[in-house]
Formats: sequence, C-alpha cells, structure tokens
Amino acid sequence: MKDSDSKNAPISTDRRRVLMGLGAAGAAVAGASLTGNAFAAPAPAQVTEAPKSEKTQDHNAFHGQHQNGIVNPRPAAGMMVSFDVLAQDREDLERMFRTLNERITFLMTGGAVPQVDPKLPPLDSGILGPVVTPDNLTITVSVGDSLFDDRFGLESVKPKRLQRMVGFPNDALEADCCHGDLSIQFCSNAPDSNIHALRDIVKNLPDLLLVRWKQEGTVPAQAPLKPGQAPESARNFLGFRDGSANPDSNNQKTMNELVWVQPGSDEPAWAANGSYQAVRIIRNFVERWDRTPLQEQEAIFGRVKTTGAPMDGKTEADVPNYHNDPAGKITKLDSHIRLANPRTAETQRNLILRRPFNYSNGVNKNGQLDMGLLFICYQADLEKGFITVQTRLNGEPLEEYLKPIGGGYFFTLPGVVDSNDFIGRSLLAASAHTTKTA
Amino acid sequence: MKKSPLALLLTFGVLQTSMSAFAATAPLDLVTPVSDYKIYVTENVDTLAADTQKFTDAIKKGDLATAKKLFPTTRLSYESIEPIAELFSDLDASIDSREDDHENGVKAEDFTGFHRLEYALFSQNTTKDQGVFADKLLADVKELQSRIAGITFPPEKVVGGAAALMEEVAATKLSGEEDRYSHTDLYDFQGNVDGSKKIVDLFKPQLEQSDKAFVAKVEKNFATVDKILAKYKTKDGGYETYDKVKEQDRKALAGPVNTLAEDLSQMRGKLGLN
Repeated sequence: MKDSDSKNAPISTDRRRVLMGLGAAGAAVAGASLTGNAFAAPAPAQVTEAPKSEKTQDHNAFHGQHQNGIVNPRPAAGMMVSFDVLAQDREDLERMFRTLNERITFLMTGGAVPQVDPKLPPLDSGILGPVVTPDNLTITVSVGDSLFDDRFGLESVKPKRLQRMVGFPNDALEADCCHGDLSIQFCSNAPDSNIHALRDIVKNLPDLLLVRWKQEGTVPAQAPLKPGQAPESARNFLGFRDGSANPDSNNQKTMNELVWVQPGSDEPAWAANGSYQAVRIIRNFVERWDRTPLQEQEAIFGRVKTTGAPMDGKTEADVPNYHNDPAGKITKLDSHIRLANPRTAETQRNLILRRPFNYSNGVNKNGQLDMGLLFICYQADLEKGFITVQTRLNGEPLEEYLKPIGGGYFFTLPGVVDSNDFIGRSLLAASAHTTKTA
Repeated sequence: MKKSPLALLLTFGVLQTSMSAFAATAPLDLVTPVSDYKIYVTENVDTLAADTQKFTDAIKKGDLATAKKLFPTTRLSYESIEPIAELFSDLDASIDSREDDHENGVKAEDFTGFHRLEYALFSQNTTKDQGVFADKLLADVKELQSRIAGITFPPEKVVGGAAALMEEVAATKLSGEEDRYSHTDLYDFQGNVDGSKKIVDLFKPQLEQSDKAFVAKVEKNFATVDKILAKYKTKDGGYETYDKVKEQDRKALAGPVNTLAEDLSQMRGKLGLN
C-alpha cells in the first residue's frame, strides 16, 4: 500500500476494513493520514479563514549604528515610497523627522493602538487589528538630492555623491515615478504590514509629507533548506535567480567597505554610518522574454536558468572563471553578470548590496503585463557603486527586454543610536550653524 | 414651514443621549448654526439657479464667449454647498458627474450637466446641439432648489460637510481633474474651501468651548490656503487656469488641504454628534 494513495483518494469501505485489520504498528503508520478524513467528521471550515503565520511577532531593532532594512535578510514583501517634503522651514523639518521617528519606533515594535472616543476617527487604520504586529517590519529613511536645495539651509552638508538620477541610454523615465525629497523603504513579511505602516505615516504627517510615488514588490518564498543544501537566491520575473553575487551581509568588514559610509571619509562627518540608496523601477517585457529560446536567455544572463549556476559552474554559489574564458566562449562578454561584475581586482570596489523585489502592477495599453523589478541597492559610494555598474551594463543584450521607467538616488540616514537620538538628527545638527548665519 | 425649536430638535435627532466621552453639545446650541447654515445654502442655491439661467441662456443663444465666461462662476455656488447638494445623489450625478464617472466617457447617454457642457464649450469649442443639455441642467438645478427648500438639515451632515468639502479638494481639485477641459479648477477649489470654512465659522463658539487650539490650527490652515489661492486671482475677480498654478504651490496647497481634511474629520466627534 502506498501512503500517498490514502491521502488522495476517498477511502472505500473495503479498504477501510483492510486498514483497520492491520496490526498496531501498521495502524500507527497509516493513522496520521486517516484521522482527518475517514474517522472524524470534518471540522467546519471557512474559505475566508486567515492564513496562518508564526512570524507576525518577529521584530527588528530600530536603534543601532545603522538603520535596519539594509543588511538584514530581505523578507517577502517590500515597498518603496517617495515623498515630497511639505515642511516650510527648519522647525517643520525637525518636527517631520521627530514625528517619523516616533511612528517608526511604534510600528517596528508593535503594540496596542490607543482607543479613542468612537465618535472620532480611530487613530489607526485597524488593518492589523487592535494590536499592531511588527511582522518583521523595517522602515528605512533616506533623503534625496532635492532636500538639499535652498529651503532648509542644508546645501552645505549634502553628501558628496548625492545627485539627481539622470536617465541611462535605455531608460524611459516617467516623471511621475522619479526622484523625491525623501524615500521610505518598508520591508516585512506581508504586503498588508507595509501598507499599514505607510497609512500610519500618511495619517500622522499630512502637513509634512506628500506621497510622490510608490512601488510595491514581493519575493517568492522557497521551501526550507534541507540539511547540507546551499542557500539559493530568489528568482526574478524573468525566472532567473537574482542576487547570486551579492556580498556577504553578515561580514561586517565587507559591509564597512562596500555599504556603510565610514567615519573619516571624504563625506560630511554627519553622514558616517549612512549609505547611498539607488532605486530603479525596471519594467520587464515578460511576454517577449517567454518567447525567447532558453539558450539565448541563459547567454544573455550568463547563468543557467534552473540552478542559477554560472555557465562554467554547477551551483549558484560557484564563481565564474572569466580568466579561462577571455573570448567569452562560455560566458559571453556582454552577458549581464559578466558586465555587472567582471570579477577583477579592480572591479571589487564596484560591488553593491542588492535588495530587489518583483513587482506586478496591471496591464499596459498594449495588453502586455506591467511587471518587472523594483531594484534597490545600497553602497558606500554611489558613483563607484550603482552608477559605474549600470554604465558598464549600457547596451547589454538584456536591454531588449527591459525598460527602466522610474526610481531615484537617495542617501540613507545614519542609524538612530538610542532613545535620545532621532532620525535625521545628525543632519540637522550639522547644518544648524549655516542657518543661524543665513 | 415654521417649526418650533423642540420640533426642530426632534427632527434633527439631537436629543438622543450619548455614551460618548465627549459631552454632546447641548442640542439648543446646534439650532442656531444649523438654521444659519440653511440660510447660507438657500442663498447659494438661489444664486446657482439665477446664474444657471444666464449660463444656459447664453448656450441656447449660441453665445460661446459668454457661456465660457459664465461657466466657472456659475459652478462656484454649487461647489460651496456640495455637502447638501450631494444628499440628492440622482441630481448630483446629472448635474456634476465627470467624464470618468461613466464607462463610455463623453459618449455616455447619461453624461449630462456642467461637465458635459464644459466638454462642448472648451474641448469642442461649440454650443451647437447643446440646447438639450442646457435645458436639462437648468431643470435639475431648479429641482435641487425646490428639494433643498423642503428638507430639514441633519446636523451631522452639516458638520460633517466641513470635512467632506476638504476631501473633495484633496481628491479632485489638487490634481486638476475636476475641470479638465476649461482648467477653471481654482473657482471650484475656492467654492469648496469657502463652504467648508463657513461651516467651521458657524460652529466656532461650540468648538472653542472644547478645544481652542483646534480652532486656531484649522483657521491657520484655511488662511494658508486662501493666501496661496489669492496669488492666482485675476483683475476681474476670477482665477487663473489651473495649468498656471506652479508645481511648488500645488505642493504647498496639499499640506494644509490634507491637514484640514484630517482635522475636520474630528469635528463631528468634538461636537458630540453621531
């Protein structure tokens, strides 16, 4: 008897009699799959019953040298929101940062929402219920080039490499989903937890922040690793594993070199322990991609689609050996991974920490699916990082299937070290003297 | 029809007891502002009817220039009394629906009213064949006038109207979607804001009893909106078209408008109304 049969097929009276006649050992083996449907009446069920998660209480520390949401493992749901700052003066700007700080502290910790008189609108949207569950939420605040214009006296303390994103040759940027004074990255286990956090912030800062654009994304979950199985990156909407060559985010030394602005660098002192954030909304032409031969897809990426291994490797973690393949016979010279990361000593400093999500928005006018990659990456040096990498990728064959349409460059603020500190404090403090004289 | 104060209160339903932490405003305190508001609405709907008569006359005479000129000012009084006008959803749809409220857009048979005429005047640049829409608009406005005369105003609708008007501004005026052919959105904008401010003014004594800071904050935000709108006033007392409003000012309007919508959403509760 195959155990799987008893799981799938209704159990006939004959078979039940046979099974019941088994010895104790046999019954114990079969029992697990039988109790549900053969011996007990099925419990009442509701199709609308909430899916179960054991991770709704998972939470991340808000306080720390660096902001969270950058090197911690990327959860299943991400959302990038760009805002126009409506503050009219520095006093307003400080109130904005302090209010954000207060909301983020609550949202990342969770807890009961204070109740108010029912004649008033409730303080919280209620979409997570009366007790907010942190659900692994991180909220990461970054500032854009435009915040350093003449409004707040921040011109002189702008991070050196912060700039307005300029379109690359294959871009078709749409003004409605580019740039912004401030970006907030929300990451958590479920889209609803991100939406809850966004609505809280929108409700609490109506006179200070106006949503400019927003893009949500997801990461497909995988079955837990079997013992001895190497971790694998999630797949993007082109079906390839994405992030295979990401630097080790547990390696503090590597992160200090590649991701975090270091104290004593040529950046303004206040910016130490911050990072540059590059965001790109990259539309994928998935119908056309799905009509492309597999070998061509793999040649374009430079990886095997099933395993994610490089063309000369067996597993995703294998490092391609371009030295042995100078003419690009195995991994094409213009393949995506070879251009992005040529694996030379010199290009090691161009490594970036990627944290992307897949997005699916709706349908384009032509009836094609509007989906792609919400690309997010972090680096200590925007120019050596994303801008250099993307410049190397200009003209790559993959461009035939991609169209970046939005995003922007931001500077992720240093972490909030304790409850006396608040997000953006070091930026305001560093520029305080400039406004006194202004 | 005259009613005694007690009869009015019974109609308003404000004599019900409340378990709320907010002491319900003493019912008698609401009688004056609610009846004052009815006067305000009545005056505005009378203006609307008279203006609509002139506007539709111009269309029927084929006087395109006059019709275009009268379009934004005629709408102004409708926009200021929307919380009451919207109580009659059939009329609101036939008077003020927009192209995107209809699956078939401008071709929809039931797309009538101000915006249907706006489409002809400003997008098609003609009054040709518009007589039927002009007649329908005038008839609908007169019907609105007579229905308003016949109802008692529910206090919670009146008070809630202050926030509802700012929601209108936040949802359709900031984006310039209201008057998409004529771009005369600033008139509607002003109408909504004036209508909202009127309600706050009428209930100001009662609100100040419970929360002076609330009133001060609301008035400050109204003043900010008025100040920005004033920048776009033209010499003839009208407004520039919405495409002339600078990006910076659109954003500067969004802050106080959204904050007013947020704050005024508490007004009913603060007055102890259900």
